[in-house]
Amino acid sequence: MPTVLSSTELPRVLAAERRAVADLGHLLRFRAATLSRRRVLLLGGFFVGITLAAIIVPAYLPGAGQLGPGRARDLLTLLPTAFAGFQLLSLIAGVASGGGRELVSREQLVAYPVSPTTDHLGALLLAPLNAAWLVQAWTLLGAASFGLGPDRFLAGSVGVLLWIAVATARAQAVAWAVEGVRRLRHGRIAVRLVAVAAGLLAAWLQLSGRLAPLLDHLPTRWFVLGLVDGVSGRWALTLLVGTAMLVTATTVGAIPAHLAARLAAREEHDAESMPHPGRPMPRTDRAMVVRIDRASVWRSVPIRRGLLVLSIGPGVVALAGALTWSQLILLPGLVASGGALLFAVNGWCLDGRGALWRESLPVEPRVVFVARVWVCAEFLAVASLITLAIGCLRAGLPDARELTAAVAAFAVVLVQVVAAAMRWSQARPYPVDLRSARATPAPPLAMIGYSGRLAASTTVTSLIFSTLARVGAPEVTVPVAVVMGMWSWSRLRRTGQEWLDPRVRARVVTTF
Amino acid sequence: MVEVRGLHVRFGEVEAVAGVDLKAYAGYSTALLGRNGAGKSTTMRVLAGVVPPTEGEVRVAGVDVRRDPLAIKRRVGYCPDVGGLVPRATPWEHVQLAARMRRIPDWQARARELLERFELGTVAHRVTTGFSHGMGRRLSVVLAALHEPDVLLLDEPFDGVDPIGVEATLDVIADARARGACVLVSTHLRELAVEACSSVAVLRGGSRVATLTARDMAGEEGARAYRALLD
Repeated sequence: MPTVLSSTELPRVLAAERRAVADLGHLLRFRAATLSRRRVLLLGGFFVGITLAAIIVPAYLPGAGQLGPGRARDLLTLLPTAFAGFQLLSLIAGVASGGGRELVSREQLVAYPVSPTTDHLGALLLAPLNAAWLVQAWTLLGAASFGLGPDRFLAGSVGVLLWIAVATARAQAVAWAVEGVRRLRHGRIAVRLVAVAAGLLAAWLQLSGRLAPLLDHLPTRWFVLGLVDGVSGRWALTLLVGTAMLVTATTVGAIPAHLAARLAAREEHDAESMPHPGRPMPRTDRAMVVRIDRASVWRSVPIRRGLLVLSIGPGVVALAGALTWSQLILLPGLVASGGALLFAVNGWCLDGRGALWRESLPVEPRVVFVARVWVCAEFLAVASLITLAIGCLRAGLPDARELTAAVAAFAVVLVQVVAAAMRWSQARPYPVDLRSARATPAPPLAMIGYSGRLAASTTVTSLIFSTLARVGAPEVTVPVAVVMGMWSWSRLRRTGQEWLDPRVRARVVTTF
Repeated sequence: MVEVRGLHVRFGEVEAVAGVDLKAYAGYSTALLGRNGAGKSTTMRVLAGVVPPTEGEVRVAGVDVRRDPLAIKRRVGYCPDVGGLVPRATPWEHVQLAARMRRIPDWQARARELLERFELGTVAHRVTTGFSHGMGRRLSVVLAALHEPDVLLLDEPFDGVDPIGVEATLDVIADARARGACVLVSTHLRELAVEACSSVAVLRGGSRVATLTARDMAGEEGARAYRALLD
């Protein structure tokens, strides 16, 4: 079998790839046409502004760029590990989303000859539209600027931005390859075994004390060393190598994308063909509605996959880092926010085109609303509890102050996230089916808006309870939790009241 | 049984229904015919209690849709025009949900009989995501007819359905008529409308332009008459 392209095939392949790149432009314009220009400018300006602030402000803070021992040098020492952490985060995000997010959904593009290369490049462009990615990227930029100081931060930031692009492109290529393996016979088991083995290896490295020496000798060190001296020959070489890596990863990533596209999505197909034997009739209307809603959540491939990554990932990080209870308190907010982004921010989309029929059933709208709230809340609670259960293994037994703060934080962020998700679901329903492992409940820009708002509100809440776990007393924590919880609860109740209006329900159910 | 006077439905700037008047009677089946965007589906949604009217008076089974939509939903069986199915629920779960909400006694035998009649028995426990369009339409008709409603609303029930499914749907309509139900069938397929219904209301641009007997709409003459009404 020939393994090299013949002289007649090469021009054909190159023409096809050029066309794929041009198609990316068409899809971007198609996407942009559905957005309000003002909103794009506002959001774009916001993110560019924060990025510039993350680059410039830390460089002029007191102590920035100090050559002797201090925080600046510590940050530079940790930068190779942070670079590697960013690579790992991008990889997990890409693998969990089955090769990256869709620029335009598969269902909408089914009739068009869109190349997997276009799909690959689109997913690459969408990778930054993710709160975790953005926060990590800003942290990297800020840490590097502070470490390098006012004289060297500009040159360094160019390198950091390049590394962020390289890590994202490499992660994308690996994610396509993993997705391809997953679509092979026994591929899913193989991927799970590799994930478990990687987890066990990491745990062994940590427990045997070998992790720190390993982190000190990561290959990312070479890249960071090339950035610390400002503009120089070494800096130019680093940029040159980085650019070569970026071009290679972006180009090579199209190959596994093509290979994966030729294989059937086994996990989705299995989920659709698996029999679900009938169960006895529930006793109440609400129990019946909850059963259907719960099935819609747990039978969805992207939601199930997202839950695993979201709940286990932070838990393992907490375990490896031996987080204390006051630090663990930050996790439920993070996990609940991520969980809501799997479906709850567009919660009515679970019914898909069945929403119209369901609305024609003689059931009190309040029952339908309460059931949806219940199903969202239990999903987010399960995800957060798994994280806490893993994370607390090395945290020891909490004292009364820590336990009160942990329970309060868990409950308050849960109500907060569910209230926000139900409000958005009602205000802006999007017709998505969450069938593909790559599907998201809302378009990319809406998702970034949701994730930013959720991250901001839950982080503030978690920080309050984390502080109370260290310095507060249960007598203070409980009233604070009650006040914050009641505020979110009242917003949830208001959304529920609005749902009783038939015009509101009609607008939602006719969207799908 | 179904009485509509001066019905208007607006979605923002768009007027989907612009003054429809309609009457349909118990024991008869009435077809709503018209081009795409004529307002058929929106009218059906109002009759099903799913979309509230913007203006006009709508009474279904003697109940005002504005006053008591829940009572209407109890009396009506509705097959929506698109999909109509929860993607990750099985046909059996759909039937169970409908039976629970409608308090149907001894629903299992009837559900099995209908699923078999529409050749869905073998896929009763598979999620509907993978269903073909025709299978989805057939299941939607089953769900609408399950509780033997007083008013049966079928929106595009023949769309993409194979001959066996069409025959089963025609049987469901005949059964409903025989037990005295009022049947409304919205379709753009004139020949099937004539076969299934006793009278035909033609909608154009969001309002009713004519009501004829099915006989007037049959054959070549009927096709010409229908064409003239659409222009």
